[in-house]
Amino acid sequence: MPKPSDLLQGTLDLLILKSLAREPLHGWGIAKRIQSLSDEVLSVQQGSLYPALHRLEQQGWITADWKDSELGRNAKFYSLTREGKKQLDLELEIWKRLSSAVGLLLKRA
Amino acid sequence: MSVTRFIHIWRQRARSLFRKQRLDDDVDRELQFHLEQLEKENLEAGMSATEARRAARRTLGNVSVLKEECRDQRRVGWFYDFWQDIQYGIRMMRRRPGFTAIAALSLSLGIGANAAILNVGTKLLLGDLPLPDAEKLVLVRVLAKPALQVSAAAVPDYVAWSKGNQTFESMGASLASQQDLDGDDTHPDPERLFGQSVTPSLFSTLKVQPQMGRVFQEDEVQVGFAAPVVILNDQLWRRRFDGDRTILGRQIRLNGRSVKVVGVMPAGFIYPNENSEFWVPLAFTKFQLENSAALFTVTGRLKEGITARQAQADLESIRSQLVRNRQDGNTVRGVFLVPVRNMWFGWILQPLLTLGGAVILVLLIACANVSTLLLARLPARQPEVAVRLLMGASRGRIIRQFLTESLILSLIAGTLGLAVAFLGMRSLAGLQHPAGGISIPLMGWDGGLLGIVALLSVISCGLFGFIPAVVAFSSGTGLKHVTAHRRRGRLSGILVSVQVGLALILLVSSGLLLNSFVRLLLDDRGFNPDGILTFQYRIPIADYVRRFGSFHGMPSVEIEPPTLQIQQVYEKLKTLPGTDFVAGSSAPPVNVILPPTATVLIEGKPIPSTAEERAAARVFYFLVTDNFFDTMRTPVLNGRNFARQDTRSSPWVAVINETMARQFWPDEDPIGKHFTVDAVFGEQQREVIGVVRDVGLQYIRSGPPQAVAYSLYLQQPARYEGFNGGAFGQMTFFVHSNLNPIVLESAARRVVAEVDPARPLSNFQTMEEYVGDGIRRRRYAVSVLGVFALMATILAAVGVYGVVSSSISQRTREIGIHMAMGASSRDIVRLVSRRAIQLIAIGLSWGILASLFLSRLLETQLWGITATDPMTFAAAIALLIGVSLAACYIPARRAMRVDFAEALRMD
Repeated sequence: MPKPSDLLQGTLDLLILKSLAREPLHGWGIAKRIQSLSDEVLSVQQGSLYPALHRLEQQGWITADWKDSELGRNAKFYSLTREGKKQLDLELEIWKRLSSAVGLLLKRA
Repeated sequence: MSVTRFIHIWRQRARSLFRKQRLDDDVDRELQFHLEQLEKENLEAGMSATEARRAARRTLGNVSVLKEECRDQRRVGWFYDFWQDIQYGIRMMRRRPGFTAIAALSLSLGIGANAAILNVGTKLLLGDLPLPDAEKLVLVRVLAKPALQVSAAAVPDYVAWSKGNQTFESMGASLASQQDLDGDDTHPDPERLFGQSVTPSLFSTLKVQPQMGRVFQEDEVQVGFAAPVVILNDQLWRRRFDGDRTILGRQIRLNGRSVKVVGVMPAGFIYPNENSEFWVPLAFTKFQLENSAALFTVTGRLKEGITARQAQADLESIRSQLVRNRQDGNTVRGVFLVPVRNMWFGWILQPLLTLGGAVILVLLIACANVSTLLLARLPARQPEVAVRLLMGASRGRIIRQFLTESLILSLIAGTLGLAVAFLGMRSLAGLQHPAGGISIPLMGWDGGLLGIVALLSVISCGLFGFIPAVVAFSSGTGLKHVTAHRRRGRLSGILVSVQVGLALILLVSSGLLLNSFVRLLLDDRGFNPDGILTFQYRIPIADYVRRFGSFHGMPSVEIEPPTLQIQQVYEKLKTLPGTDFVAGSSAPPVNVILPPTATVLIEGKPIPSTAEERAAARVFYFLVTDNFFDTMRTPVLNGRNFARQDTRSSPWVAVINETMARQFWPDEDPIGKHFTVDAVFGEQQREVIGVVRDVGLQYIRSGPPQAVAYSLYLQQPARYEGFNGGAFGQMTFFVHSNLNPIVLESAARRVVAEVDPARPLSNFQTMEEYVGDGIRRRRYAVSVLGVFALMATILAAVGVYGVVSSSISQRTREIGIHMAMGASSRDIVRLVSRRAIQLIAIGLSWGILASLFLSRLLETQLWGITATDPMTFAAAIALLIGVSLAACYIPARRAMRVDFAEALRMD
């Protein structure tokens, strides 16, 4: 069985930001959200989520807080900062442009 | 980037740095939570407990790698690596204290010495001067045509320049002045003071204000008249007047004249040099305004935006007009501007360049040496590097670790170097300055020095740390052991020959300086300064002049020479206990800037008429007392010395030197010949009674010998009309004794005060100090360079030693086999030192070439030898060969005692 294609660099960041757009989530929650949103097509290498989260935190797009989770355990919840929201809009814009361009290219080929 | 994000990011960084443990725990908990969730999911999917855990781990991936990746995201890893490297480096150093001490000490000497010289050089040659806007201040001098000597300027020039120039804001003139200050109640002893007569415009040109009182006003000088006022410097004010704040308006007595104190200059004000303690107004006489005796120092302040070149052209055009209008024959080639900075500190350039060159070599040698020592340690560290690489350290990380170790070493060296720099600056401040210059101020620690030391530390870290770091990294990786070993050997070989070559350059340069210094000391100058104390007694010409006038366009005087007065002082000095010879001369026989001259008319020869003939008939001329040659221990070569029988009433006699004898009586015996000095009223014919050995007029750099004539002080006209009037009133005395100069000085002052209480003796110096002007500077350069050269030689020997001993330790088995096969001990020594000898030969060859090239830079500082003096080169090469062969031989001898059986078993 072919492995689900590796996510494009930057795509993971976009998915994380998008999944945090509605509400703060912990890492597990983000993994689940991405899985369900993508109808299991894209499977995120779950481990790679964490370095990405830490990178985004260092860059100031997201912040983290320890809170009680719905699962009854204390968990680290990530939420978008104001800057993060702007960044998400920007990246969505870029993504749309890129995907339509690539789509067009593939159609012509 | 917005501000909030910026702050956010830096808060994150700070947390990453300071809350490391907490963040690491957070990552643990976070990943643990994820694993638990996965496990729960798997259990719900019906897996067994063990299976569920294993599957969860599989899904998430290697937890420790993940943790490491998360940590890497914090971007402060380098900091922890660096910290780790530092701790590691310090541990390595403590394990080898001997190596660390040697390396740090040799580096610190190099760094400190370089820093001292750079700091002094940049501050004095580029930094601020103690005068406002001093960059615009220049001294104006003229180049006199006959000898093209630089001289000061004449009054007509100064007047024309200050009126006619377009390029100067203002100008001032000054002239050195000596005044005898009378004693008073608190300071009863009279004292000779050294100061300056200055035009009122000088202070405004310098843009300085007194701390108290005022500067001179324009109406205080008129032609031939200067107001009786004086300005004191801070030091004189404190020393002689106890810093009395009510001094303004007080009358003090200078040269027996009552003068009013009108100002006190601030502490630290120096102009034109350090020994100017007072300033009096300078008024030109009518004669000076028409005549061109170039004696005056002219200082000008350039207008904004005017270059020295423009100003020079401006003054030159004014001067050429002046010369055209004036038929005085004293034609002048050009005007020459000297920035005040050059006058003061120009002299430090040469010693700083010489020393600077030497200390750069020392630093390079120290770096090469530390580099070889580090390379020699590498095999021992091979396993460590290999393990680290296996554990996943990157190559960059290994290089970084080695460089960090080097950096620690160089920072330790830099810290020690600060102390070295401090001592170095102290010793530079003690350097004796030549006439006109001022001494190097004592400098302390400051930001500039710290910066220079830090920079030098980092540079030397790069120099000595780079090669070992790269070699460590490449030998720890794919390269085969043998290849790596060979490369290391080649590199340390190159470094050793570099050290040998650099050491040779230093040895040759210090050898050349030492050689010429010894020649300078041992050279026969026709007199012996040992044990002589010299001082001056002076009667101002104003006290015995009858009339000023002019004769053939030159200033002349009609005077009654104060011969008896001087004779009284001389007789008194002869009564000093503990002295064997006392003598006097109208001027010191050596190191006078303008030694007195006279034109001689030889009996039976035509009277010189043209300017050239007159110039050829000029000799240097001294009036001396009868004991002069005995005191100076100048040998009489022919005829007789002055003696008691030569008195005021006996026939006038003269003694001449070898050169004068040769010049005026080339094929005859000069004894018994006659000449007359300066065909002026009052002079008589003198008979040549003796010929003495030449005494060089300058102690250093004499040039060709000059004709000198000596006549007796007693045999001078009772009434004199001529040019040398000033010579009669001054006497430099020389007292030869075994007494302490300080004891002798007070005794001399006491006996002279008995006959002349008003005129103090001055300029007390031992003759050695007097002629030593410039000698001490040379001695300094010689000794500093000598120490550095010695150090360089030792370091080079250490390098050679290191190469030989490491080659022995790597070839123990080979040596064992050779010995078992019956090789003689000489064969073994040859075997192990062959390579070292090759390296020494390479080092010497390039060192000789470089020395031949570089020693030319020392040419101007040498005396009596050329820059390629073969003896010096040979001695330096022999010394270096000797020392490095010894460094070979010691470990090689040890090699011979190797127990070959054990050596063969070793494996």
